[in-house]
Amino acid sequence: MTDETPSRRAVLVAAVRGVPLAAAPLALAACRGVQVLGSPPPPPADIRALSVAIKAEEQMVAMYGAAIVALPAGAAAALLAARTVQAEHAAHLRQLRSRLIEPAPHPSATPRPVTLPPGTTGTTGSVLQALEQAEQAASDKLIAQLRVLPPALAQLFASIAASEATHVPYLRHVPGAAP
Amino acid sequence: MTAAVVAALQSALAAEHSACYGYGVVGAHLAVGSAAVAAAAADWIAHQRARDALTAMISDRGGKPAAAAVAYELPFPVTSAATAAQLAATMEDRVAQAYLALVALREGDLRMLGAQQLRACALRAASWRGSTQAFPGLTPASLRS
Repeated sequence: MTDETPSRRAVLVAAVRGVPLAAAPLALAACRGVQVLGSPPPPPADIRALSVAIKAEEQMVAMYGAAIVALPAGAAAALLAARTVQAEHAAHLRQLRSRLIEPAPHPSATPRPVTLPPGTTGTTGSVLQALEQAEQAASDKLIAQLRVLPPALAQLFASIAASEATHVPYLRHVPGAAP
Repeated sequence: MTAAVVAALQSALAAEHSACYGYGVVGAHLAVGSAAVAAAAADWIAHQRARDALTAMISDRGGKPAAAAVAYELPFPVTSAATAAQLAATMEDRVAQAYLALVALREGDLRMLGAQQLRACALRAASWRGSTQAFPGLTPASLRS
């Protein structure tokens, strides 16, 4: 008799107590703790995609925060544009989060600090160019996931992808942007 | 072809028909030789191509493509270059909404087409408006507060 097989005594006890025999192995497993159970099933594709999208939007909001700090103080138009676009990303994040019930973050979990991509200097043109590249990549990534999503979530992803695509020319036309 | 697919394609086609008409009005109020009139011409051509593609898609699937109306009622009077630009942006918003319906379909290729066209509409709308939107194509009622 292997360790996973309920003993004769356990089966008998289960029968006497009214536990169906088919449930006896489960009852035995419960006594041993959760370690004998298999790992939980992976989340469905749409939940995974939503979680990834939420993290990506968090990164975008944080990246704009880093950009606002990095931009030269005199770059008023670039600062205004960065704050405007950051507000749209915050709106994206709120809508994405409203579609997912997330467990509260662990108290000890600290968000990873977000910085601008390596090679970004403090010039207005360099900062805006880094943001443009991040926007285009984010838009393309959302559209690439549309096929696996339920209809309403696909529409939200497509709309956010369209919004992020419009940020590219918007940033490119800010005074001081790289030609 | 399901009824939902036909309805979504026909709605997108109807929106493209109205945009093709509307860009004629837009162009008539822009200065000849200006960058704006060149942009309007390019956008007009883009909508004509999209209209033709949708017409072919509906025909290929055994449907009868909706015909364009002789004329369309404008959402507001267009009397200047500024109101012409406003009309262009408004039309792009409405076409974007029609393409968003394609994104809700189960056919992956139609979803991708809807998303790509939605993005193109949003880019043109932002260009005419000079500002961006957080949720192109989505109505406020579809957003959660």
